[in-house]
Amino acid sequence: MSDVFSAAGVARQLDNCTYCPKLCRFACPVAEASGHEPYTTQAKMDRLNQLRRGTVGWSAETTEPLYACTGCRQCTTECLHGNEPGLVLMAGRAAATARGASHPALVGYPERFRNREQRLAELARENLPPERFDDSAPVGFWPGCDAIDKGLDDVAAALDLFERLGAGDVRMVAAGQTCGGYPLLAAGLLDMFRWHASRVATALRPYGTVVINCSACLYTLRVQYRAEGVPLSSEILSLAEFLARLRFTAADRRARKSVYYHDPCYLARYSGILDEPRQVLSRVADVVELSGSRTETECCGGAGLLPKTMPEVADSMARRRLREVASRGGGTVVTSCATCAFMLRRNAPSGVTVLDLPAAVAGELGDPAGGRSGPG
Amino acid sequence: MPPVALDPDRLRRELVPIVGERRLSMRASDLASYGRDMWPRMLIGLAAGRLPSELPHAVVWPESDREVAAVVRAARALGAPIIPYGGGSGVCGGTVPVLGGITIDLKRMAEIRSVDRDSLVCDVEAGINGERFERELNRRGTTLGHFPSSIYCSTVGGWLACRAAGQMSTKYGKIEDRVAGLTVVTGRGDIVHTDGPARALRGPDWTQLVVGSEGTLGVITSARLRVSPVPALRILRGFELENVAHGVEAIRRVMQRGLRPAVVRLYDEVDTFINHVPLFGKRRTGGGASEESQDEREPLARAPAPEAGSGALPEIPPREDRGAPAEGMLGRALSLLSPGAAPARRLAGRLRAGAVNAVLSRPRLVNGLAGPLAEKVSRRGCRLIIGIEGSRIRTEVEARLVMGELERAGASDLGEEPGRHWLEHRYDVSYKMSPVFRSGLFVDTMEVAATWERLMDLYRSVRQAIAEHAVVMAHLSHAYPEGCSIYFTFFAPLVDAERTYDTIWQAGMAAASRVGGTISHHHGVGLLKGPAMQGEHREAMAILRALKATFDPDGIMNPGKLGLPAMLGRRS
Amino acid sequence: MNAAAVAVEDLRAALEVVVGQVHVRRPDPRRGEPAGTAWLVQPGSASEVAEIVALAARAGATIIPVGSGARAPAREAAAAARPRLYVDSRRMCHVLHLDETSLVVHVQAGLTALALERILVPRGITLGDFPPSTLGSTIGGLLAVRTPGKTSTRHGTIDDAVLGLSAVLADGRTVHTRVAPRRASGPDLARALLGSEGRLGFITAAVLRIHRRAEARFLAAFVLPSLDDALAAVRLALREEAAPAALRVFDGADARAQLGEGICGEEQAALVVATAGPTDLAACDRDLMASAATAMGGTALDDAVAERWWRRRTGQERAPQLPAPALQVTAPPGREAAIARAVRAAVEKLEARSRVHVSRFDADGAVEFFTFVEPGGEAIAGERTGAVRGAAAQAAEKAGAVLLGSSAPGLEPYEAELKRLLDPHGVFDPEVD
Repeated sequence: MSDVFSAAGVARQLDNCTYCPKLCRFACPVAEASGHEPYTTQAKMDRLNQLRRGTVGWSAETTEPLYACTGCRQCTTECLHGNEPGLVLMAGRAAATARGASHPALVGYPERFRNREQRLAELARENLPPERFDDSAPVGFWPGCDAIDKGLDDVAAALDLFERLGAGDVRMVAAGQTCGGYPLLAAGLLDMFRWHASRVATALRPYGTVVINCSACLYTLRVQYRAEGVPLSSEILSLAEFLARLRFTAADRRARKSVYYHDPCYLARYSGILDEPRQVLSRVADVVELSGSRTETECCGGAGLLPKTMPEVADSMARRRLREVASRGGGTVVTSCATCAFMLRRNAPSGVTVLDLPAAVAGELGDPAGGRSGPG
Repeated sequence: MPPVALDPDRLRRELVPIVGERRLSMRASDLASYGRDMWPRMLIGLAAGRLPSELPHAVVWPESDREVAAVVRAARALGAPIIPYGGGSGVCGGTVPVLGGITIDLKRMAEIRSVDRDSLVCDVEAGINGERFERELNRRGTTLGHFPSSIYCSTVGGWLACRAAGQMSTKYGKIEDRVAGLTVVTGRGDIVHTDGPARALRGPDWTQLVVGSEGTLGVITSARLRVSPVPALRILRGFELENVAHGVEAIRRVMQRGLRPAVVRLYDEVDTFINHVPLFGKRRTGGGASEESQDEREPLARAPAPEAGSGALPEIPPREDRGAPAEGMLGRALSLLSPGAAPARRLAGRLRAGAVNAVLSRPRLVNGLAGPLAEKVSRRGCRLIIGIEGSRIRTEVEARLVMGELERAGASDLGEEPGRHWLEHRYDVSYKMSPVFRSGLFVDTMEVAATWERLMDLYRSVRQAIAEHAVVMAHLSHAYPEGCSIYFTFFAPLVDAERTYDTIWQAGMAAASRVGGTISHHHGVGLLKGPAMQGEHREAMAILRALKATFDPDGIMNPGKLGLPAMLGRRS
Repeated sequence: MNAAAVAVEDLRAALEVVVGQVHVRRPDPRRGEPAGTAWLVQPGSASEVAEIVALAARAGATIIPVGSGARAPAREAAAAARPRLYVDSRRMCHVLHLDETSLVVHVQAGLTALALERILVPRGITLGDFPPSTLGSTIGGLLAVRTPGKTSTRHGTIDDAVLGLSAVLADGRTVHTRVAPRRASGPDLARALLGSEGRLGFITAAVLRIHRRAEARFLAAFVLPSLDDALAAVRLALREEAAPAALRVFDGADARAQLGEGICGEEQAALVVATAGPTDLAACDRDLMASAATAMGGTALDDAVAERWWRRRTGQERAPQLPAPALQVTAPPGREAAIARAVRAAVEKLEARSRVHVSRFDADGAVEFFTFVEPGGEAIAGERTGAVRGAAAQAAEKAGAVLLGSSAPGLEPYEAELKRLLDPHGVFDPEVD
C-alpha cells in the first residue's frame, strides 16, 4: 500500500529529499526552464521540511518555492524513493495558507475564484446554444473553466463533433460552477475546496456520465473528491475517453496529415490516459510522437497556478515544449486538455499550430456536407 | 571563516545593470540553496541539524558571456569573491562560498549551439544538465560517451571544472580527453577562447590548464566537445575472478594488449558480497513503494490515490516527527545496497539497532568478517563487469579478443545478465545516500589512481587506512594501459562523525600519496582535499600559484579551493 | 680585464665546479656553433641543471636549451647584452626506471627517442608509432614543442604519452608532476611546460607511456580518383573506429615524388596505411580502410608500393632526397581538400607548383605538408621561396587552416604574465623565432 499520504510517509519523503543529490532535477520542467537552484524538486521539498520542522519561519518569501511546481509528476519518473513531491508540495501550500504565508499573487484568490466561476457560467450561457444546456442528461459535457474562459471555440467545435458522430444527445451541464476545484487545491485553500466540491457534487448528480476536458480536474473529480468525503455518483470521463467510445473514421480519399500529440501531464501521469487520445487521433491522422511522450511528457506550464505565480517560467515551459517541433520545421500539435491547448497556443513559434482534440478531429473529418465521413 | 564585508546596496547597484532585477537575488531564502554541494561532511552537519552557514551575498543567473564577464569585473571592483555553480553535485565542497561573495549560477546558459555530425564536434553552453545534453545528442545520432553516476544532476561546466570521468572512460576518455576548446571568463574579466577550431600550437595548453581548475582561474561558459557516433553495438558481460590481485592482472593484460573496452569494473570481495549475492532487484517504478503496482504496463501513469475520506492531500507531519527510521540499521544498510534484496532485510529486521551499531563501531571486525565470510558463504570472489561498444565490425572483433584475454587470465564467464543488470542500475547508487543517512550512518567515497606497479600497494594501504574507522569496500574501474583507478566506499555511524570523517580522509590521502598514487582520479579537490594538495604536487604548486596569479590577480575566483589560500588580494 | 670579462670568467669557474671542467667550453664557430659571450655546458643530471639555472639567475645570464641542436639561435651573440648558457642535455641520456609491469619508462630529457627505442625494442617494447624523422630528437626537445595532429591514431602524440614531468624552474627549483594515468587534482600542470619551447622551465626528465610491440602489422596502399575521395575514405574509416599505426594521403604530384612514377595520375590521390596491434584487430583495421577506399572509388595498389613506403618511413631503405615540405598547416576536418586547392591556386598564380601530403589525422583534423617546386620540377631558390610560401600560407589560412606556431589569440597577455611570474629575470630566453 503506497504510503505517501500519511504524516509518517510525508516525513520519510521529506527526509529522503534532504540527502539526495537531486537526481530528478533534470526531470523538473520548472527547474530546467528557470535554471534556479531553489526550484529544483529537492530544494523545494527541503524547504518544506525546514518549514514544518521550524528551522525556517513561514513567510511569503520562505514559502515561495512551494509554488514553483505544476504538480506534473515528471520528477516521480526518476525517483527511486517513491516520493510524490507534487502532492506533498501542494499540501505544503495548504499549510502556508493556514499560516497566512501564501504566495503574494494569490492574495484574495477565494473571491477571485468565486467571481470567475460566476463570470464563466454566464459566459457559457451567453455563447453556446441554449438548447444544448439541460439540468439533467445521460451524458453531460462540463468542459472545464479554462475551456470556457479561453477555448469557447473548441467547446463549440466539440458540441458540433458530438452531433456529427451520433452523440447529439450530449448536453452542457447547467450549473453555476464551471470548475472542478483543482485551482483551489493548488492555491492551498483546502476548506474552500471542500465547500466547492460539495456544491459541484450536487450540480453533477443528475448526469449519468460527465465528460470533462480539463486534465487536472479529471483527477480531482475521480480521486480527490472521494478522498475529501464527497463521492460523485456520475461516471467521470475525459473528453478523449468519450470520443474513443464513438465510432467514426475519416474519409478514405483525404490524404492523411501527420500531427504531433502532446500528452497533458495530468492525463499521462495521474490518470493513465495515454492510448485513448492516440486511438481517436489516429483514426483521422498519422500521429508522430514527440520526444518526451506518454509518461515522459513535459509539462506545458499551465498547472499548479504557475501562470499566476510565475508567469514567465510557465510560458518558458510551453516554449521549450514546442522547440522540438519548430526545429523539425514546424507542424501541428494536438493535445487533449483545454489548459494545454491554451498554454501551447499562446507560446507557439511561427510554423507551429496547436489544436485541441475535438477541433483536430473535426478538421480532419472534412466538410460534413461534401464528404462521406462520419459515423461508420 | 568570516565572509568579506560587502555593502548590499552597492552590490545591488553594480549587479542590476548587468543582469536585471529578476536575475539577481539577495534573499536569504534563495541564497540558502547555494551554501553547499553534495560533500558528505556537510550532510553529516545536516544530519546533526546544522544548516550550511557559509552563504553567498548574492546569486546571479547570467545568460551570456558578456554578462558573466561584467559580473566578474564588477566583483573585482567590489572585492567580492566569485563562485561558479552548476549542478552542485560535487562531493568535495567546491561550491561552498567560504568568504561569501557572488555565486554565478550557470544554468540559464544551457543551450546546445551546434552538433556537427560529420566532424563529430559540438558546441555547448556550460550550464546544461548532463542527462538532457546526452539525450539531445542521442537524438542527433551522437553520444558524448561520458556517463558519470551524477549525470542526472551535474552540468557540462562542472565536469570540465573538476576533470570528471564517466563509467565508460576507458573507451571514451575522461572529460579532458573530449574537450577541443573552451570559452572562459577569466578572473580578470576577459572572455578568452582556448583552442578551437584547431589547437593552438604554441605556448601552454590553456585548455588543459583551465580544465580541472575548479573555478579558481575563471568561469567556463561554453565548450567545444568531441562527440562519437552512437555505438552500433554494445556488448556487456560479467566475469568472476578469484581475488582482487587476479582481477587486476586480468585487466592489465586486456589493456596492455591494446584493447579498449568501454567499461571495466572489478569489485573487491566485500563489494561483490554486498552488491551481488542477493537477488537483483527490480528498478523502482512510480506510484510509491508498492509491490502491487497499479498498471503493469505503464506503472508511472497513475498517481497514488488516498483512501476515501482521508483527505485529498498528504498530511504535513508535525515538527517533532523525524520520519520512520529505516528498520534495523544493518539490514537497512545492506538491503539498500542491493534494492529489493528481501532476504537480507528480513534477517536484519530481527537485529536490534543498538547491537548493530556496536558492531558497526568496530569496522575492523566487520571488514575482517566480510572478507573471509564473503568468500566462504558465497564463494563468489570478485565480480568483473566488462563492456565493449562501438562500430559494429570492430566491436565484435575487439570483444572476442577481450573475452579471450579474460578467460586466459582465469576469469569465469557469468554471462550477459550481470552486465545488463549493471547497465540498468548504474545510476541507482546515488539514491542510496538518503536511506543511509536516515539510518544513522554516513557514507563517502575515496577515489585514487596509480600505475599497475603500485596498484596493489595503493589498494592495500588506502583500504587499511580507512578500515581502521569504517566499513569499506572497493571497486576498480577507469582502466588504462598503465594503471587504474580504485574507488573506495565507506560507512560509519553518525556518532562523532566529523572527527571520524576528517581522520579517515587525512589518513587515506596520506596513504595514497605515500605509495605514489594520486589523491583524486575524477572527483576533484574542492575544500576536502586542499590539505593534500601540497603532498600531491609539492614544488609544482609554484606553477599552480603562478597560474592563479596570472588568471586571477585579485584573488576573487573561488577562494579556498584547490589548496589555495582563502583570502583575497593581489599575490605576486 | 674589464668588469664584464671578470664576471664572465667567474661564471665559467662556477660552471666548471658544477659540471666539471671538461663539460664547459666556448662554442666553436667553426663547428657552426654561435659566437659571442656564451658557454656550452653539458650537465649530467637534473641537479646539475638546477645548479646551472640558479647560477644563471644570479649572474643575469640566459639559458638556451640545446637538445639535438635542431634549432639555431636567431641573434648574433655579440649583440646580446647578457651572457648566454647553451645547456646541452645530451649527457642526461639515461633510463632512470623501466617499469615493464605498467609499461611506463622514466627517462632523462637528453635521451634521444632513437636511443630509447634501441633499449626498448629488444624487450619487445616500443615508444610508439613515431616516424623516424622525429626519433633523432631528444625527449626533452620533442616535449618542448607541440606537434599538431596525432602521429598515429593508435597511440597519439608524444604529448599523450607523458604521464609525468620533471623540470627546473627559473629560480632553480625542481618540480615533479605526479605520475598517474589520469588525475583530478587541479589543472594538468605538466601542460604548462609541454609545448612552451623551454620558456617556462627546463625539462630534465619525463615519465612516458610505452607499448608492447604489436603482434601483427599490415600494410596497404590505394589509388583514389581524387584528393577529396581519399580524404573522405580516411574519414569514413576513422568513423568506423579504425586505429591505424600510420596513415598518409598524397596528391598525385606528391605520390609521384614519394612513391614513384606510374602509381597515380596527376588528378588522382594515393593512400597508404599501416595497421598494427593484435592480429585480428589489425586485420580488421586494414579491412576497414580497404572498404572505405573502395567505397570512395579507390582500387588497391600492388603490395610493393606500401612496403616500399614503410621501409622508407622506418629508415630501412633510403628515401629519395627530396626538399623538405616548406609549409605545414593544420586543417580542420572536412576542410583539407579545400585548403589544398586554395594553396595550389595561389602558388600557380606565382608560376610555381605545389604538392601535398596529409597525415596526423585525429578528431580535430589533420596536418597538410606542402612542397613547392618550379614548373620544371626544380627547387625554388632565393627570395622566391619566401614569396611563394607567404602566398601559400595566406591562402591556406583564408581557406580555414591554422598555421604552425599559432598561439591562442587573446591569451598572449596570459602567456606573458605567466612567463613574468615564473621567470621574472628572463633566465629562459631561447631567442628562437
